[in-house]
Amino acid sequence: MKKIEAIIQPFKLDDVKEALKSIGIDGMTITEVRGHGRQKGHKEVYRGQEYNVDLLPKVKLELVVPSERADETINTIIAAARTGKIGDGKIFIFDVQQAVRIRNDDRGESAI
Amino acid sequence: MTVANQPSDSPARIREHFLATGDALTALAERTAEVDSIVIEAAARLLFPPLGTNVAILAVGGYGRRQLFPYSDIDLLILFPSDRHITGAKEPIAIFLRHLWDAGLRMSHSVRTPDECAEVHDSNTELNISLLDQRFLAGDRTLYAGLADRLPKFIHANRNALIRNLAQLSRERHAKFAGTFYHLEPNVKDTPGGLRDFQLVCWLGQLRDGTADPSSELRDAYHFLARLRCYLHIQTGRDNNLLSFDAQDGLAEHWRLPGAAQWMREYYRHSRNIYRAAIRSVEAGEVQVSSLFAQFRDYRSRISNVDFSVHRERVHFREPQRLDVEPELALRLFEFVARHGFRLSSEAELRIGARLPRLKEYFADPLPIWPALSTIMALPHAPLALRAMHDTSMLTAIFPEFAEIECLVIRDFFHRYTVDEHTLVTIQNLWALHNTSEPAYRPFRDLLAEIKEPSPLVFALLFHDAGKGSPEEGHVDASLRLIEEPMNRIQMPWPHREMVAFLIGRHLDLSTAMFSRDMDDPQTIIDVAHQMGTVERLKALTLVTYADISAVNPTTMTPWRAEQLWQLYLKVYNELTRELESERIDAVPTGSPERIAFLQGFPTRYLRTHSETEIDGHMALEEKSQKRGLAVETLKRDSAWQLTLVAHDRPGLFADVAGTLSCFGMNILKAEAYSNLRHLVLDTFTFADPGRTLDLNPSEIERLNATVERVVSGRTDVRDLLRNRPKPVLPSRKAGFAPRVSVDAEASASATLIEIVAEDRPGLLYDLATAITSNGGNIEVVMIDTQAHKAIDVFYVTSEGHKLEPETQMMIRAAVEGAVT
Repeated sequence: MKKIEAIIQPFKLDDVKEALKSIGIDGMTITEVRGHGRQKGHKEVYRGQEYNVDLLPKVKLELVVPSERADETINTIIAAARTGKIGDGKIFIFDVQQAVRIRNDDRGESAI
Repeated sequence: MTVANQPSDSPARIREHFLATGDALTALAERTAEVDSIVIEAAARLLFPPLGTNVAILAVGGYGRRQLFPYSDIDLLILFPSDRHITGAKEPIAIFLRHLWDAGLRMSHSVRTPDECAEVHDSNTELNISLLDQRFLAGDRTLYAGLADRLPKFIHANRNALIRNLAQLSRERHAKFAGTFYHLEPNVKDTPGGLRDFQLVCWLGQLRDGTADPSSELRDAYHFLARLRCYLHIQTGRDNNLLSFDAQDGLAEHWRLPGAAQWMREYYRHSRNIYRAAIRSVEAGEVQVSSLFAQFRDYRSRISNVDFSVHRERVHFREPQRLDVEPELALRLFEFVARHGFRLSSEAELRIGARLPRLKEYFADPLPIWPALSTIMALPHAPLALRAMHDTSMLTAIFPEFAEIECLVIRDFFHRYTVDEHTLVTIQNLWALHNTSEPAYRPFRDLLAEIKEPSPLVFALLFHDAGKGSPEEGHVDASLRLIEEPMNRIQMPWPHREMVAFLIGRHLDLSTAMFSRDMDDPQTIIDVAHQMGTVERLKALTLVTYADISAVNPTTMTPWRAEQLWQLYLKVYNELTRELESERIDAVPTGSPERIAFLQGFPTRYLRTHSETEIDGHMALEEKSQKRGLAVETLKRDSAWQLTLVAHDRPGLFADVAGTLSCFGMNILKAEAYSNLRHLVLDTFTFADPGRTLDLNPSEIERLNATVERVVSGRTDVRDLLRNRPKPVLPSRKAGFAPRVSVDAEASASATLIEIVAEDRPGLLYDLATAITSNGGNIEVVMIDTQAHKAIDVFYVTSEGHKLEPETQMMIRAAVEGAVT
């Protein structure tokens, strides 16, 4: 099993969710986060005063999929989240040792 | 045979009888009797033989009242004469309880002595309260009689403390549900207006008067909720009190009503009766227990006026019969609430209720009541007044259209409240901004402070979802359709109507842009800016969006979302205000030939930053200028003054006016300069009058205007005036900071930007403008902001119609730096 953590642009969330749904992946955790990579922040000027926006609003998706579906999932996220511009986000992939469904103690892939 | 092995057909029988008849009271009584027999039998067999006579079993709480719901916890109190007797009783008690658990009863027990029962438990109010409903089940009658004898005396002696604790507990519970009963999926026991609140009214009556005697209206509500809770327990087979969407469908069917929406309206009607009674009881209890509080309330009674009196924080009519001949008195009542923040007395609510048919009839005719409504909607306690109008049905008397969303449930994963409650919460949240100190929400607070007339915004919020009662068409379109008639009826003026229609029609646009558009894409921002049209509209819509999102449920408006909305606002604001020479008004779609001629050539920014009324004022000034080639007007605007000048352009004009204002001791806060195709210049200067010269000497206004006219027409040299001006007082060294001058040739397509951040001082603007114009620069637009002693001035400068050449740029920069150091 692989855990996929994707940091994407907030406005791409619906597109990514739809795309994942179309390949049969419904379960995920979504968090509103702030951060920056190479995009850094930017400066806005409002009535002569500067507002530094150091940490940009992003959305973090976390999902765990069977290892053999990891590439397909990642490619789906990339295709749906890409605008081609700086700030599109990043995807991190981790190995998952075990998954447990608390309700009935299911283990392994049947728990995800 | 053990208790656990005794199968009983009782639950099935109770279930069948209840589902067939809907008779919850019988179901509760039967369940109580059934549990009584199980407990008494188990106690006789497992508890009393090893413990002897020194123990009694009491039913407490709902079980004590014989109102045991099918799957509720069973509250038992096991009473011992003293702690000494308890010590050796642990094992028999454990066996006794285990058997009851095995019989399928969810036991909730406590072991107490009479002394413990007759003392105030500040941290365990539930124990004291549960004893109000105690009932002897089995065991030592003498032991029980001792407690039964002590309890009334204990309650009488400690009723103030008990009332205080109970009131506090109830307020905490209400707060968990945001103090409203209009939840889409309420908990029928704990939500405000639920069964717990019915019991609260009974308990407080018992503590205060020794008896609990709820009104017939409350008894009806109790019967409704009891039947509902019984149904939830029986259908789910557990202690489930959540009135979920699925359960609502089932209940509508069980009640034989056509749909869940209609059934839920019944639910809210009963819940509202209970909640109101509960709040009144709690408040009456709090008054009784606190003489200091009562004194404070009596002190506040001094706010009474000729129409209304205030007694114990409640507003009463002085002459309620006047309502019959003077229905506007009702509007004044709510204005009083909005101004002072007092709730209505029960008597005032009843008076309004009794006259509702007459009020409905009266307000159905077109009446010029917008000024009165507008006042209510702008006052400090507007949300409280609007809620009181809603609670008394006065809102629907004035606006029958609002009835479409009353108690309306729209099933939505995110929304927590009914549509009418959501609407009232939007206004509440908007007003809460006035007092926020949270960094994420402060920008919105400042934005709200800039709104001069908040009433159209509040009115738009009140009706933004009115169309949700018409599911056959989109709710935005339906709201726009619904709002037309009431706006006609109350004779709302056109500018306000336009704003209301804009806000309702666009109330989803900014959220859509925030959540589904790339805010870094310039085209997104351009599109949104075009949708907004003016800065005034953008500000109002940003606040509507803030209020709307934050009223979905208490956790929706996270700092993250607030920041998203603010970023969008900033980008669109900058888009609306940045366009200068590159975007000039070349075609004015509508208006008289004079209007078209006046507007042509102004930057599009002019249209976006000025209201129709302001444009009309400027045109009137232009007409006035035709006789003598110039016209000047100085008016008081809120806390500042504004001088507007219309004249033919000439080099140094802006600097001359700035200098004239300085020589009068005025402190310029903002200034803007525009010129149209006919080389007519419109300059506005917003300034403070620190010496209150103009306020105290109105004749000085004319002298100022005349002096500006003389300077602009060249009859007086501003330098002569400035020779006599007082030396500026420089700020202390500690507060000072180094001035900064930056030149940007890229930010605008057709002008060079010169931005100066410097210590503010009298005459600064004149010095800067002179430094620019005397070195060949032509000031196209200037934006000035003053924050405490810091002046932030941005000049858009051209030379012979183009950006500055590097050489001119250097000369101007040097001159400007010289002026600020």
